[in-house]
Amino acid sequence: MSKPLSTILATACALAFPTLAHSRPLTLTAQLKNYGGDGAYLAAYLTDAKGAYVRTLWVAGGKAKYHKHLSDWSRLSAGDAQRLSGVTGASVGAGRTLKVTADLADALMDAGYEIRIDAAAEDMRDSPSEVRIPLSKANAGKPQAGKQYIQSATFQLQ
Amino acid sequence: MGWKAIHRWLGLTVGTLAVVLGITGAILAIDPVQQAWQAPAAPGGLPVATLVERVTRSVPDVEEIRRLPSGAIVVFSFTGDQPQASYVDPANGQVLGAWHASALPRWVKNLHRSLLLGDAGRWGAAGIALTMGLLCVSALVLLLRRMGGWRRLAARVRGSLAQRIHVVAGRVVLAILCLTSLTALTMSASTLGLVALDTRAEPEVLSVAFGKPDVPGAQIAPLQSLAVQDLRKLTFPGATDPEDTWKVATAQGQGWIDRYSGQMLAWQDATLAQRVYDLAVVLHTGEAAWPWAVVLGLVGASVLLFWLSGLVIWWQARRQAPHITGNSPLTQADVLIFVASEGGSTWGFAQTLQDALSQGGHRVHTSALENFRTTATTQQVFVLAATYGEGQAPAHASHALEHIAKLHASAVPVTVLGFGDRQFPAFCAFAKALDQTLRAQGWPALLPLECIHQQSGQQFARWGVALALALREPVVLEHVPRVPPTVALTLLARQDYPGANGPATAILRFAWPAQGPGARLRGHGLARFAAGDLVGIVPPGSAVPRYYSLASGWEDGFVEICVRQMPGGLCSTHLLGLQKGGSVAAFIRPNPGFALPRTRRPVLLIGAGTGVAPLAGFIRRNDRQAPMHLYFGGRDPARDFYLGADIQRWLIEGRLTTLQTAFSRVPDGGGYVQDALRRDAERVRGLLAQGAIVRVCGSRAMAQGVAETLDEVLAPLQLSVSALRAKERYAEDVF
Repeated sequence: MSKPLSTILATACALAFPTLAHSRPLTLTAQLKNYGGDGAYLAAYLTDAKGAYVRTLWVAGGKAKYHKHLSDWSRLSAGDAQRLSGVTGASVGAGRTLKVTADLADALMDAGYEIRIDAAAEDMRDSPSEVRIPLSKANAGKPQAGKQYIQSATFQLQ
Repeated sequence: MGWKAIHRWLGLTVGTLAVVLGITGAILAIDPVQQAWQAPAAPGGLPVATLVERVTRSVPDVEEIRRLPSGAIVVFSFTGDQPQASYVDPANGQVLGAWHASALPRWVKNLHRSLLLGDAGRWGAAGIALTMGLLCVSALVLLLRRMGGWRRLAARVRGSLAQRIHVVAGRVVLAILCLTSLTALTMSASTLGLVALDTRAEPEVLSVAFGKPDVPGAQIAPLQSLAVQDLRKLTFPGATDPEDTWKVATAQGQGWIDRYSGQMLAWQDATLAQRVYDLAVVLHTGEAAWPWAVVLGLVGASVLLFWLSGLVIWWQARRQAPHITGNSPLTQADVLIFVASEGGSTWGFAQTLQDALSQGGHRVHTSALENFRTTATTQQVFVLAATYGEGQAPAHASHALEHIAKLHASAVPVTVLGFGDRQFPAFCAFAKALDQTLRAQGWPALLPLECIHQQSGQQFARWGVALALALREPVVLEHVPRVPPTVALTLLARQDYPGANGPATAILRFAWPAQGPGARLRGHGLARFAAGDLVGIVPPGSAVPRYYSLASGWEDGFVEICVRQMPGGLCSTHLLGLQKGGSVAAFIRPNPGFALPRTRRPVLLIGAGTGVAPLAGFIRRNDRQAPMHLYFGGRDPARDFYLGADIQRWLIEGRLTTLQTAFSRVPDGGGYVQDALRRDAERVRGLLAQGAIVRVCGSRAMAQGVAETLDEVLAPLQLSVSALRAKERYAEDVF
């Protein structure tokens, strides 16, 4: 690569991510139980202090036909046309761990926001809001148990 | 590519995977049956509100009530932190036991729908379902062709054991297999995202609190008016979310109910796509009715049966594939032979013709009829054509007639030789159509059309004599048919009719050796047979079999024939010289046009001399006592009333209703059998007016005489032998 071109690219990248300075990456880890079924569909999303939907962090499981089984997320996020863009992956097998990273603005911390995870697996019971973790610095690194599918869910700040 | 090729190659390739789907499908059918055992169905008219009341009384923290397609009620709840799923007795709300979606390991279902290969496997499984559908469609076309149309679909199936298994089982399960493929495709279409079942967003509805407590489920009006039979799923409002609603799902759609007012807040009708999908699931899985699941399970398992028997059929056909030896290249040949053959036997005649002409110094090229053409070196063309079923062309030559009709005629003579069976109304119909087309196109012929009956070597040899004269060359056609594998039959008993001034005759009864089912499946051993079929006997010192009509069926447990001494006859001499315990090499050749269909209609049997044999076989197996009437013609009751004692006994037993005899060599014997028919004209007319079926067996002259007599007798009814023949009510077995 010629020197002028690489210089241009470096400049472009620096301009494209100006917000990085005011946000930080958050890693969400969900360890699944051995619930004895097919791969689970999971939706991790953020709600505000009033319980209103803010944004989707991750959706595991690609078949739109089954997304309605993630019922809270499906209902709350219905108005968000971008809810699936860039944040989808494969369903998560029993006993496996889902690990996703998202950038969160610092302002969201300790402001009543909540990370919620909906879970469902075929032929098993839907579990809307399987886990709810208030987004506070004190909760970082503290494992929370889910109702049916999730052994423990934790978020880490970097 | 014809239907047969499509069916064969799809079956042999993709069919292997279809077996996996069939077997796993059969295993999955266990679930609905097992679940039907576990819990009673809820009474359909029970209001959902009442069910809610009963359930909440005995189960704490209910989250959801489901009505399974089988009618059983399952309740989801929490005991502390532990999620529970239980069957509940709808009569009192008592917990009956734990519910599990399936008693089978998950991999069975995943193997069935995705071959354990994830999404790629789902596409694969859908492809297999599509193939299965194509196999069903091609099977239906082939089945109708084989049986001769819809009306004869239920007729008796002939052929090797593998063929019979394939056709008989196919007749039974074809429609269900087809339905299974179709429902599988419907389900795949939505799972693979080709069809969206419901793209609408759920309505934004919330329970609005006025400081009132929740309305108990039993008092919610929409649940009071909803019957349990319409319920799919009822989700209770969550304890921690004050704005949460009741959610009810039925076959018709889904609704949201305010937890405080009990009012329906919103309702969405199910989409058409959703309803179609739901129906497909129920039909495909059998989860709504366990007897249907049992049927589906059996049909699933039958795929293995089809695949195995299909494999055997293909293998048998491969073994019988034509091999022409000494073929000259097309461009150098002066004689071309084109063959249209269904079973492969016509290729044997082509080989004999090719060998004879090659010996005379010709360069001969033999090929299949669809390759019909002439070249600059061609001097003579021969077409040897068999007919299949209802006068159709053999499968491989199905487009040959159109092809030939498009060609420009040349001066090269094209001679047609047909092969067929007079029992069928469309005797040599394809050869006749070919000959007509060729003549209409202006091709000359060396010899007029000749039709060979039942692969007769003698008739073929006579045609060879005519050919030699026309070619002015010494051509001798000695056709040695390829004899199917033979079985050694052992003579059990013989009943002799010594001829004082006529040839000696005997009724011979043979046993066949024991044979395992494996051998029979592969077509080894003696094929199954019925009275009226033929047994081919290969005498020592000859490769040419002689055929005898069978006087017994497989169920009788023995092979019985009536053998008359032919002057200088190799085979009859050998047979009549057999002692008890002696054996002969034999095989079965079906004679489907002559066999008696299962019927309650009257049957008119007309036989002369040894021709009584197959007719006696029909009477012997007349366990249902259909009215059978026998006209028997002989010379002298003391000498040639073959099987006379048996026939008298069958009269007493009711297997035979009436017997009329005519003996031509004794005074007042009654003359010939035709005379007996003429005397009984009124009665014969009556029987045929009732729809009687006629079977005639004897010499060609006798059969001719009977046909003429019957035409006279039937004239007042506006009926004729040819009309009866066309309706398959009249068949002859002549020798």
